[in-house]
Amino acid sequence: MNESRFKRMKDLPSTHLLGSGTPMCSGCGGLEALHEIYDILGPKTVFVNAAGCMTLLAVYPFTPFRGSWLYTAMASAPAGAQGIRDALDILIEQQRLPVEEDLEVVVLTGDGAAYGMGLSSTSGAMERDLNFLYICYDNEGYGNTGQQFSGATPHAARTATSKGPHGFAGFKKDLFSIWAAHKPSYVATVIGAEPLDLARKIEKAMQLKGPRLIIALAPCPTGWDYDPRESADIGKLAVSTGVWPLKEYVDGRVVHTKVPKQRQPVEDYLEKQGRFAHLFEPQRNEQLLQELQNSIDSYWAEIEH
Amino acid sequence: MYRIRFHGRGGQGMKTASRILGSAFFLEGFDVQDAPRYGAERRGAPIFAYVRASRQAINERGVIHHPDLVVVADDSLVPVPAAAVLQGLDAHTVTLINSHTSAADWQQRLNLAGPVLILPATEEAEDRAELPFVGTTCAAAAARLVGVISRDALAEAIRTELGALGSQLVEKNTEAALQAYDLMEPHAGTVTEGKAHSASGYARPDWIGMTVEDVDLAAPSIHAAATSVEVKTGLWRTLRPVIDYDRCSRCWWVCSTFCPDSAIAVDADGRPDIDYDHCKGCLICVAKCPPHAIEAIPEHLAQAAEETNA
Repeated sequence: MNESRFKRMKDLPSTHLLGSGTPMCSGCGGLEALHEIYDILGPKTVFVNAAGCMTLLAVYPFTPFRGSWLYTAMASAPAGAQGIRDALDILIEQQRLPVEEDLEVVVLTGDGAAYGMGLSSTSGAMERDLNFLYICYDNEGYGNTGQQFSGATPHAARTATSKGPHGFAGFKKDLFSIWAAHKPSYVATVIGAEPLDLARKIEKAMQLKGPRLIIALAPCPTGWDYDPRESADIGKLAVSTGVWPLKEYVDGRVVHTKVPKQRQPVEDYLEKQGRFAHLFEPQRNEQLLQELQNSIDSYWAEIEH
Repeated sequence: MYRIRFHGRGGQGMKTASRILGSAFFLEGFDVQDAPRYGAERRGAPIFAYVRASRQAINERGVIHHPDLVVVADDSLVPVPAAAVLQGLDAHTVTLINSHTSAADWQQRLNLAGPVLILPATEEAEDRAELPFVGTTCAAAAARLVGVISRDALAEAIRTELGALGSQLVEKNTEAALQAYDLMEPHAGTVTEGKAHSASGYARPDWIGMTVEDVDLAAPSIHAAATSVEVKTGLWRTLRPVIDYDRCSRCWWVCSTFCPDSAIAVDADGRPDIDYDHCKGCLICVAKCPPHAIEAIPEHLAQAAEETNA
């Protein structure tokens, strides 16, 4: 594989493709990631968007994209991508579309679709070795409808449907591993707060063919309950506390691209978000905090050895 | 029947305000409807919520078109057409505005037939952590203005609606609310019940005949890129990031990279420029700027300064 053109921060794009004026929330971590991703993908893309917050990006007659956009039901974005890929291939084969005008087909869904409703159609697309890119903006809940829990909601978080002193009783699904188990061309985790790592991964994905899937953790001021100005800082904390491991699966191997040298305590990440406030007030829930720290420690213990 | 409309921005607690006022009415023995109404827009975008309260069963449904009281939590919304703050106001309607500007000024500016009251905007409201309290104080002020809700019912309603947020927040909100409630004491009862609207007296609007256009005219296919720039999301902003170019170090465009809205452009010399037509005021740039060269200023002060300079 070619060496990355993103060696240092200065190599990141200084002009941006994604149009302003979208109806996403002020301080949206998902939009932050998408705008960084889009700069690397370039305008020769067609987006297939499952229902979710980002459905609202392209509300007729407005769109922030430079090219086409297709809206699908929550479970079926990868199926929509298959249709577009097939159509493009047929047009090229029949010489009705020059090869250089080919488009990259990009699925864009939230975690509700990626971790839950759309998982089987994604599995099917990988099974068929569909040549597409999947971008999941993961704000750990059904944000578009008021932050009900999803398959991506972390243990103990408060959501609209998980209230009370212990928050969400379930655990965040390991979508990275579920996807990687299909042995697609590429799987990676990214976050808008680490733009260089993100740029390198999108660049790598663009150089490959076949199913390539990206999960972007998307700090969400509305659903996670914090001031919008903290979106990028909370994103950084997700990485430095080890909550969100930055990694990629390529050539059958999982590689961690940014291993925090001295992991910060997970509390530093949790206490900034209202959705975890019940762990600190009215009194500290030492047991639950320790449980959360332990699960992160045991994840990294396996990686570091 | 009382018909009350709350106008604010997503994140300012208008839905909560309508619930608190609704619950307070309910505790006083009223039949109540309360509901928020917002479109696809998000935090920062204009939203409204409404409350109906009556001693009799309420048969009306839907949005309130002729309010007895309009509460405006954020005065920058008044000139925003999409917010429709002034819709359906008449001589009977009381307008309560959370503002730094005087009632007389608003009365003159808007040429309102009904009375205008001011809920003084506190400096704290410029700290966004305090923003949720705006909703509670608005609900409390409204409760006093209708004159039929006791202090106890208001406090009980706040406990009911905010209980899940913990006792500390309930206390803080109650304190702010009771202050606003007492502040409106001189105007207690200013808001009176509006007439019942009868379906039998329904007058058809003057319909305007619209000819059906061909589909390519009525719903043209759009081939232009990035048309979203036509939407001026700068109107959402309550705080404005301002760059101090003497301190800006022309870095690797940190502000421009992290700005979710592509609202910061960087020229060839690395000089960033904020597009205030689209900046939603999230202030990620303020948080991330390495030499701390970006400062947040309340939007109303920034606009006032612009007018002075112009």
